[in-house]
Amino acid sequence: MAEPVISTRSYVFTYLALLALTLITTLLGYLPLGPFSMVVAIAIAAVQACLIAGFFMQGLYEAALVRVVAAAGVVWFLIMATLILTDYITRGWLPFPGK
Amino acid sequence: MADHAASLVREQFRTAEQQRETETLGMWIFLATEVMFFGGLFVAFTVYRMYYPQAFGAGSADMNILLGSINTVVLITSSFTMALAVHSAEVGNRRLLAFLLVATMLLGCVFLGVKLTEYYQHYLDHKMPSVWFEYAGPNASKVQMFFVFYFFMTGLHALHMVVGIGVLLVILARTLARSFSAEYYTPVAMAGLYWSFVDIIWVFLFALFYLQGLHI
Amino acid sequence: MASQVLAQTATNYLTDKQGILSWLLTTDHKRIGLLYTASITGFFFVGGFFAVLMRLHLLTPRGALFGPETYNKLFTMHGIIMVWFFLIPSIPSTLGNFLIPMMIGAKDLAFPKLNLASWYVFMLGGLVTLVALVRGGVDTGWTFYTPFSTTYSTTYVVGAALGIFIAGFSSIMTGINFIATIHRMRAPGLTWFRLPIFIWSHYATSLILVLATPVLAITLLMVGVERIFQVGIFDPALGGDPVLFQHMFWFYSHPAVYVMILPAMAVVSEIIPVFSRRPMFGYTAVAYSSMAIAVVGFLVWGHHLFVAGESVYSALAFSFLSYLVAIPSAIKVFNWTATMVKGSISWDTPMLYAIGFLGLFTIGGMTGLFLAALGVDVHVTDTYFVVAHFHYIMVGGAVMAYLGGVHYWWPKITGKMYPEGLARLSALIVFLGFNLTFFPQFVLGYLGMPRRYAAYPDEFQFLHVLSTAGASILGVGYVLPLCYLIWAWKYGKDAGPNPWRATGLEWQTSSPPPAHNFDVTPIVTGPAYDFEGMKEELNLG
Repeated sequence: MAEPVISTRSYVFTYLALLALTLITTLLGYLPLGPFSMVVAIAIAAVQACLIAGFFMQGLYEAALVRVVAAAGVVWFLIMATLILTDYITRGWLPFPGK
Repeated sequence: MADHAASLVREQFRTAEQQRETETLGMWIFLATEVMFFGGLFVAFTVYRMYYPQAFGAGSADMNILLGSINTVVLITSSFTMALAVHSAEVGNRRLLAFLLVATMLLGCVFLGVKLTEYYQHYLDHKMPSVWFEYAGPNASKVQMFFVFYFFMTGLHALHMVVGIGVLLVILARTLARSFSAEYYTPVAMAGLYWSFVDIIWVFLFALFYLQGLHI
Repeated sequence: MASQVLAQTATNYLTDKQGILSWLLTTDHKRIGLLYTASITGFFFVGGFFAVLMRLHLLTPRGALFGPETYNKLFTMHGIIMVWFFLIPSIPSTLGNFLIPMMIGAKDLAFPKLNLASWYVFMLGGLVTLVALVRGGVDTGWTFYTPFSTTYSTTYVVGAALGIFIAGFSSIMTGINFIATIHRMRAPGLTWFRLPIFIWSHYATSLILVLATPVLAITLLMVGVERIFQVGIFDPALGGDPVLFQHMFWFYSHPAVYVMILPAMAVVSEIIPVFSRRPMFGYTAVAYSSMAIAVVGFLVWGHHLFVAGESVYSALAFSFLSYLVAIPSAIKVFNWTATMVKGSISWDTPMLYAIGFLGLFTIGGMTGLFLAALGVDVHVTDTYFVVAHFHYIMVGGAVMAYLGGVHYWWPKITGKMYPEGLARLSALIVFLGFNLTFFPQFVLGYLGMPRRYAAYPDEFQFLHVLSTAGASILGVGYVLPLCYLIWAWKYGKDAGPNPWRATGLEWQTSSPPPAHNFDVTPIVTGPAYDFEGMKEELNLG
């Protein structure tokens, strides 16, 4: 097998970034952001997920097809979440009971 | 060395590279299925959180942020050691690989130990739905809903961790039996993918459960 | 055109290893395909048995045979077994397993051991479900709606759900295997747009299997947790929403119907060109349509919730999307029909089933559009109209295509020809029996007969009697192939490598094929369905 694609240095930097993001998201949790608190926390988690998938799982260095597969998983989850939540968000918009 | 690697190419494949690429693809597809598996619970949680923000916030406030953040750091570190383990397999460093696998497993056990401690604490606080749940404030049933999802989702995650530790034990055994080399270490890489993915799930669970009640 | 790779080996995949263990521990995709065939055939007749009981019971308005509770169990078990233990695995795990590696010039699937494991997992799921059946059955309907399934039903819900949960992993394993195989194991020169449509459709099917089945798994797990612990996930009294279950259940179950029909379309796409002696008309459109069906099929599940309590805006969106999803199916029907224009049509049994599929699938699909209209759906939802609609697609479509495929590839799988006259007669019996069974149900539903009812008003009896009469004819039509196909395996005429003079790599090897499919990896240099280009080779075969 040829040279490893990712150096130990890159792993260390990724690790430190992940720790930093954990600290940031925990501290931000103490701010009274209302409903945005969840949005911020998920957004930071998403960045952490990308770092783990991209570097620790070597996602950035694998074939393009692998990245498509990973993206498909996320997109399909978003399809499920969006269309289900659309129902719950739009309930009660019409002045009829149960609609 | 090359012969050993060549003999590990299964007969349906033409080259070792084709085999490695195909197995990697297969594992990533499996992980996409896991995204949808956990995803269902995430969606259900989000629906109820949208409907019961105060109750879910109260539930969140009851989480132990110290233990939660320790666990997050532990798991991220274990993902780091696992990535380094794969790296050491790539360069054929058997000793380092074994050591890092052990480190990863130990960190995984620490995570599970902390989780059990949390569960036990919740039990003592009467916050375990169906077993012993009491909540003095308003909307007790909705607060219970929060805890239902907490135990369900972190429990399912913990189950995946247990499986992961089992897988790593097998990988460790094969490492010690000299099954891997710089030419062939695919099972190590596959285990690494699974382990890091379980870490990703935790990172989202941490955001969902621990960080929403800190300012209350 | 593919290079000639006719195997001269003396043994084939059936004879090269003998003994029961060589079958139970096989990793040969062809043998695993046969293991699955035996299993799903068994399940088909169990599920069919429940249908027979139901149709007999419905001969009289007050229901002569069973009480309502037992009737509930009958339609539930019929649905569970037919959906999860027959339709979902049928074509992919039998014909797909057997043919995909051969059609792409590979020695086996990407993960042969995973393939064998998928069969064992499937059998375990089936066993658990049958145990629940024997212990008294389930009465929730195959749809497990809450809170009846989680709180009020007194039957073996957890047992049945567990069996289905386990079987779901078999689907996922198959899907992963097919996707990895089709991406990475194609023979040199076999680019995506030279693939048979069979491969495109199974690829699309596999996408659905891997993305949708996990959601079923987690939903059933939630039902189990709720039923055991009664903590309120779907219980309104404790803050839960029963409609959330329906969203999650149908997120899987609607794409699941495309899992059931895409492989059927795959089979029909192989049969029609061969028996018209013309390449697939609009090949690219048909290939893309397979993908479109898989993707858009994920966006329409809310049409099962129109009257369940979802918001009107949500219903509007799902209704619109449901109209969209019909388009790729229609494109396929047009292209199959166009393939036959000016073709040289042979009326062999596979073609009879394929043409029957065209008509019946079209009727089933169009009645789906009736149901996608919000106003009409309010009138016919949960009536026999819906029952007729999905049986036209599942039975008139998928089962007919499955039978067509079994007949078409029987010579390849067994090396023997089936008796053509008897087979054509059976196809006709199936077609007539099917229509007599299910067309009256459209009328029944439109007139207001609800589904899942054990008794009905007197004025519906005539249509029910017609339906039961049709069912008995249909049953004969299904038992006949079971008999003559097995007879043919032993006593039929030798088929030769390519009795239909078809293109496609699977016909370039012996019948039955050798264990490793090809002695030499084929190299592909031309498009699929190249009847013109391969004229000489095919006339020699």
